[in-house]
Amino acid sequence: MNVAVYKILGIPNFILLAIAIIVALAFFINRVKHLYFILRIGKEDDRFNDIGARIMFALKRILLQLCVLKDVTAKDLAGLGHAMIFYGFLCFAFSYLFMFGRGFIPGLSFHILGDTFAGYFPLLLDIVALMVITGVVWGLLRRYVVRPSRLESTPEAAIIMGIIASLMVFHFLMEGFEVNIDPHETASMAFIGVAFAGLFNNMGIERTTQEALFIASWWIHCLLVLGFMVLIPYSKHLHLILAPFNLFFKSMEPRGALRPILDMEEAETFGVSNIEEFTWKQLLDLYTCAECGRCEINCPAHLSEKPLSPRHLIHDMKVHLLEKGPHLLGGNNGSESGTDAQAEAAESGYDGPALIGGVVSEDKIWSCVTCGSCMEQCPVCNEHVDKIVDMRRYMVLMESNFPPEIQAVFRNMENNSNPWGIGWATRADWAKDLGIKILSEDSNVDILYWVGCAGSFDERNKKISTALVNIFKKVGVNFGILGAEEKCCGDSARRIGNEYLYQMLATETIEILKGYNVKKIVTQCPHCYNTLKNEYPQFGGDFEVVHSTEFILDLIEKGKLKLSKPIDKTITYHDSCYLGRYNTVYDAPRKILQAIPGVNLVEMERNRAKSICCGAGGGRMWMEEHLGKRINEMRLQDALDINPNLISTACPYCLTMFEDAIKEKDVQETLTGKDIIELTEEAMA
Amino acid sequence: MNSVVCVKQVPDTESVIKIKPDGSGIITDDLKFVMNPYDEYGVEEALKLKEKFGGSATILCMGPSRVVETIRTGLAMGVDKAVQLDDPAFEGGDAFATAKALAEALKGLEYDVIFCGKQAVDDDLSQVGQILAELLGLPHVSLIQKLQVADDKKSAVVDRQVEGGIEVLKVLLPAVLTTQKGLNEPRYASLPGIMKAKKKPLDVKDLAALGLNADSVGCNGSKTMITKYTAPPERAAGKIIEGEGPQETAPKLVQLLREEAKVI
Repeated sequence: MNVAVYKILGIPNFILLAIAIIVALAFFINRVKHLYFILRIGKEDDRFNDIGARIMFALKRILLQLCVLKDVTAKDLAGLGHAMIFYGFLCFAFSYLFMFGRGFIPGLSFHILGDTFAGYFPLLLDIVALMVITGVVWGLLRRYVVRPSRLESTPEAAIIMGIIASLMVFHFLMEGFEVNIDPHETASMAFIGVAFAGLFNNMGIERTTQEALFIASWWIHCLLVLGFMVLIPYSKHLHLILAPFNLFFKSMEPRGALRPILDMEEAETFGVSNIEEFTWKQLLDLYTCAECGRCEINCPAHLSEKPLSPRHLIHDMKVHLLEKGPHLLGGNNGSESGTDAQAEAAESGYDGPALIGGVVSEDKIWSCVTCGSCMEQCPVCNEHVDKIVDMRRYMVLMESNFPPEIQAVFRNMENNSNPWGIGWATRADWAKDLGIKILSEDSNVDILYWVGCAGSFDERNKKISTALVNIFKKVGVNFGILGAEEKCCGDSARRIGNEYLYQMLATETIEILKGYNVKKIVTQCPHCYNTLKNEYPQFGGDFEVVHSTEFILDLIEKGKLKLSKPIDKTITYHDSCYLGRYNTVYDAPRKILQAIPGVNLVEMERNRAKSICCGAGGGRMWMEEHLGKRINEMRLQDALDINPNLISTACPYCLTMFEDAIKEKDVQETLTGKDIIELTEEAMA
Repeated sequence: MNSVVCVKQVPDTESVIKIKPDGSGIITDDLKFVMNPYDEYGVEEALKLKEKFGGSATILCMGPSRVVETIRTGLAMGVDKAVQLDDPAFEGGDAFATAKALAEALKGLEYDVIFCGKQAVDDDLSQVGQILAELLGLPHVSLIQKLQVADDKKSAVVDRQVEGGIEVLKVLLPAVLTTQKGLNEPRYASLPGIMKAKKKPLDVKDLAALGLNADSVGCNGSKTMITKYTAPPERAAGKIIEGEGPQETAPKLVQLLREEAKVI
């Protein structure tokens, strides 16, 4: 059957098809151009370093479908469905070259790639089409029958699913007619096509009618594909095009490092209060979001019924960008950037809602615990936390607008270098009688023990500091502390948005550490750990930073530390966000527990990368929790569900949050909280 | 509406205060100095008046070069300019000598209202504001918790808390008002504010600039003098009474309260 020259109303197909393609491309390109120009409003961000690694990362995540398969669980198999549709899409995208091609080139068929290919590929397509239909039906069932909370049942999703299913159906119809009218074109291995062919013959459809129906199916198929193409940039299916780019442009910095404000003395505004003040990559995130909701169902703020949902955050900002963007472009198609664009916005009369307080409520901005679970779970590697921190930076640095209880915390960090505001000179009082070297008196040490504010000032956590010192002494580690010279690392200040205070604390500390020529630092606080390890290099502080659990495990593995006293308890371990997700230290604490005789280690359902924050991250440690349920009690329930005797942590904030929740829920009789360090000390021979 | 806020720099309240071996004063090395918390209410109120009526807010602060940091804190909050009184002759002055110098400096400034903290948290004297008002011949109201300036800026209505209630007074301006917790919530300086503060005018005046002689200020001009500082007696460690249950521990507690603490 020569599709190319088949005439409809006297016009050959190839002309009609060319017109259809040109029209569709015009719509498609116009929209993509529009999106591109809006994207260019965003601020600069260099995401072109290390191109090889970027390509490898993107390819791996996409071709192996790790983006969605990595989090497939028995409860949520959606990733499998996605992979089925994705691979089907790849096969069909290839076959469409031929489908469209034969509209121009008479006699074009799979045979140009060899008879074997022409024989097997249709079989593959049929199998794949079945797979895709299964995936689609599954997707529809989930959206409209099962309705998991993370998915929204929008008409858009139904339309897209409908198109995909129709594409498959028309594939079978085309194949069926073609088997009858042009048997050599399609190999008989396409079992579904053959079945349809038999069906059509049994129905007694005339050959000429079948020819016409074939052409009709081909046309509808082509138009559906073109229509789908046009729809992509108008819908959340934009991720089909943008996910590879978003993965490619993903931050290559350590996840735990927030982007610094570098020109603090010169800049006139700080943080983000207008959508166009985000970087182009942050805007690309908005475009790329497929609204799958994996972020939402793993967000402690959302789960505890606070107003924040990372999915809605991203989606609302996308809608806002598309509304405000055209105003910013003016008549000039986005050739200006930065402050020019803002002035343009004012002139162009955009009168929609403001970003902060309008598009994103202040409560949402303050609800975030910066636990990073949204980023961990996001299949397209969107970076949510930095957007929230950017908005916090504007609120804090420009407007001094933050929860009232935070002002004292800032003052305390400024005046006494710790969030509690206890006199800085008393920082090392906990260690008074322990005979520890203070670097200002004797800096000849192998290891600087960075105690952190909690370990220095909080009564409960001081015991953990003492326990760690006992371990050091037992093994004969030559260590020292900074004593009163130690300051808050600045983690909370930075994550609350007070970059100025953070940089003040960080640069002062880096100077002190360099002054003593410190090489290796051990700390028990994951927040200090992350900040010293991942963020201080931004200001010239390059030190080897080790978490206490890594240090202890190393001692055990080298045979320097023997844990022989049994602890006969059922123990669960809670992953701290800044140790786990941000720094992938998941195994060290578990291995230490397993090295203690008698310990029965049990896992909560949400563990490792899916662990839920204790509620204290992102500076929330210092804020009242007025909205929704208490996150620490929600997390405690995870532990209560598996009934351990002890919940172990490796973070001072987590421990505080758990002990509060244990008291609040009145379960202290059956459950206690302890740091891994304390358990190590207990089990030491 | 122009306000002047008299600000004192004091050691942070969490500081560990050490007394000089001869008892003549405290050791100031290693101390973290901050703006007297009660003065912050004055700064905030001055900024509110400026926002409402226009005009300017000025900080007046006596002290050596270290007080500049405190002055900048106020400027970062939004105060327009500052005058620093810095001269060795001012050192060691009591409330009277200090007020004397401040009053002299105030003669060169425009003001409708002068704010002082109700007291400085280091020496807790609560006198400078009142003496200042006397020296300048101005009315004063102490411990204010609410301030409403009349539209003509000629008078103000102030609330002050008294035992069991609130006293409302009308005071003619200009006046000296000493500020108390509850008046407002002092703002946290914005970063642009901090940056701008570095460039705001700071006028440093010494004894000669004020036209005073050394005998009328500092130690020499004081009516009172500190003869000695002593630290409070060190508190003995707490005692935990050991024993099985209240039947055993309660009698021991009673015995100790009677014989050792001698309170019952």
